[in-house]
Amino acid sequence: MNGEPLVRWDWIARNWANGGPSAISTLLTGHIVMAFLPVLLGLLVALPLGLACVRWRRLYQPTAALMNVTYSLPSLVLFSIFLSVTGLTQATVIIPLTFFALAVLIPAVVDGLDSVPDHVRQSAVAMGFRPARRLLRVELPVAVPVVLAGLRVATVSSISLVSVGALIGQGGLGNLFIDGWQRQFYTPIVVGIALIVLLAVAADGLLVLAQRLLTPWFRARRSA
Amino acid sequence: MITFEGVTKRYRDGTTAVDDLSLEVPTGAVTVFVGPSGCGKTTSLRMINRMIDPTSGRILLDGQDVHGIDPPTLRRGIGYVIQQAGLFPHRKIVDNVATVPYLLGWNKKKARARAMELLELVGLDPAFAGRYPFQLSGGQQQRVGVARALAADPPVLLMDEPFSAVDPVVRASLQDELLRLQSELRKTIVFVTHDIDEAIKLGDTVAVLRTGGHLAQLAGPATLLTEPADDFVRGFLGRDRGIRRLSFISAKEIRLSPPPGDLVLDEDGRPLGWRSDGGPAPYGTFDPETDSLRAALDATLLSANGTAVAVDGDGRVRGVATREALDELFAEHAGGLRGGGLPGRDGDSPAVDGTPGDGAAGDGATGDGTAGDGAAGGGVAGQARAEA
Repeated sequence: MNGEPLVRWDWIARNWANGGPSAISTLLTGHIVMAFLPVLLGLLVALPLGLACVRWRRLYQPTAALMNVTYSLPSLVLFSIFLSVTGLTQATVIIPLTFFALAVLIPAVVDGLDSVPDHVRQSAVAMGFRPARRLLRVELPVAVPVVLAGLRVATVSSISLVSVGALIGQGGLGNLFIDGWQRQFYTPIVVGIALIVLLAVAADGLLVLAQRLLTPWFRARRSA
Repeated sequence: MITFEGVTKRYRDGTTAVDDLSLEVPTGAVTVFVGPSGCGKTTSLRMINRMIDPTSGRILLDGQDVHGIDPPTLRRGIGYVIQQAGLFPHRKIVDNVATVPYLLGWNKKKARARAMELLELVGLDPAFAGRYPFQLSGGQQQRVGVARALAADPPVLLMDEPFSAVDPVVRASLQDELLRLQSELRKTIVFVTHDIDEAIKLGDTVAVLRTGGHLAQLAGPATLLTEPADDFVRGFLGRDRGIRRLSFISAKEIRLSPPPGDLVLDEDGRPLGWRSDGGPAPYGTFDPETDSLRAALDATLLSANGTAVAVDGDGRVRGVATREALDELFAEHAGGLRGGGLPGRDGDSPAVDGTPGDGAAGDGATGDGTAGDGAAGGGVAGQARAEA
């Protein structure tokens, strides 16, 4: 460490795209896939499950409890469990992270639908909406701000949790931490942290932008 | 016409929301369901458009049992206004109003053009069309709610406590607006409220419901005030029934006298006051063309000499109404007023029946003091005692 700079730019330049599996750009792509796929899958599963929990209220407590227990398990434990099923592949990271995303997104969908004021739902019924159209045209759009808030939390935590996968060799940018730690060489660690933070900020920013475009009626309310 | 035939709604937990309700809601008139909470008024309303289905009995819409009609189809043909307006927060005002036309499959252009017409009809600036509901005040939102209910021009309008979430001033203007609209549109309106004054103001017919879903009385507002069916209705109507009854008699019927010499006028013929030593004394006015006998009586009470000044729309004096002229009219309408309508009659016979000594002794200073002022002296004193 003596006299060694915190960041060695030449190392970054050499390793950005060196063609190997440890190239920074490759790790970044892997990180993005392993972070976003669980959120996307989570959302696809959480929507019908959340709707079911709203429709059959008694489903919600057991579902939420199960999801919370899952969420409380250390991610490493889950990775180890799935290691025996899916081996040293990205799926071993993606599947547990999907459960973590679900733990955030199911309550978000349920809370979102609960946030639809009763007089709005009642008036939709009274106007003559049929249930499916009411869901698609009134209830889900009105639920969007709350669901998006959950989606932001799920996305950022997923981006951060992928790193733990490095312990089974599938950590995306997290692999840089192991590398740096083993060699007492800080540049990869700094690069890993910087890229993960940038990724999280960019993803969150995109979601905020999406929220503004999708729900102008909500943004205006907050600024009013 | 909407007909309730022995309609009962009982919930699984055993509570009865509506109990064997039978009544007819006439076409082109406002029928108000009024009563305390838990009287089944909203349940009754929602059974008309099948948001709730009755346990037994039938509801007929122009002779057809609503039970045989697919609910969404039925509802698209019935306007509905809900408390707090129930506007869709994510849709612009114009699209909120066009909701039912969209559901009926109108094209967007036609539906929006219709929505703009309706915004104008309910007295909203077209500039609101592109805004979102949260940008409007409660009263404006409720106007949009009414416009939305009228969008597909349904013959029937159901209004579920539509004005109860706005302040009294806005509520009064929304009520006036509804009466104005109704005089043009002649819809069959069922209006639910817990506010008896709103019921009396808006209803052509008022159905008073009591807790447990029983119909206590079905009558026109004037009849309701003079002839409440029982103690529950009497209690629910509250105070001053006789005075309020006068709202239904036009001041046009009052015999006017020429303005006496001691009424001071300005050069345009508007009243300045009654001549007196200490400068013009207070006076009260009413417009015989638009006001009720209640307003005229109020004007006599405001006038220093007990004579009300009748004015035209521009405030110019047309004549005066003396207490005697009002008395003649009270006598003429005594039929309607007899059923306990005159203030002070109910449960207060000693004071009226000429044993003032007993009454005064029993009631003390409050009764005596109050009895002195105003034309309706006996009545006012009666009220004061009833409260004491």
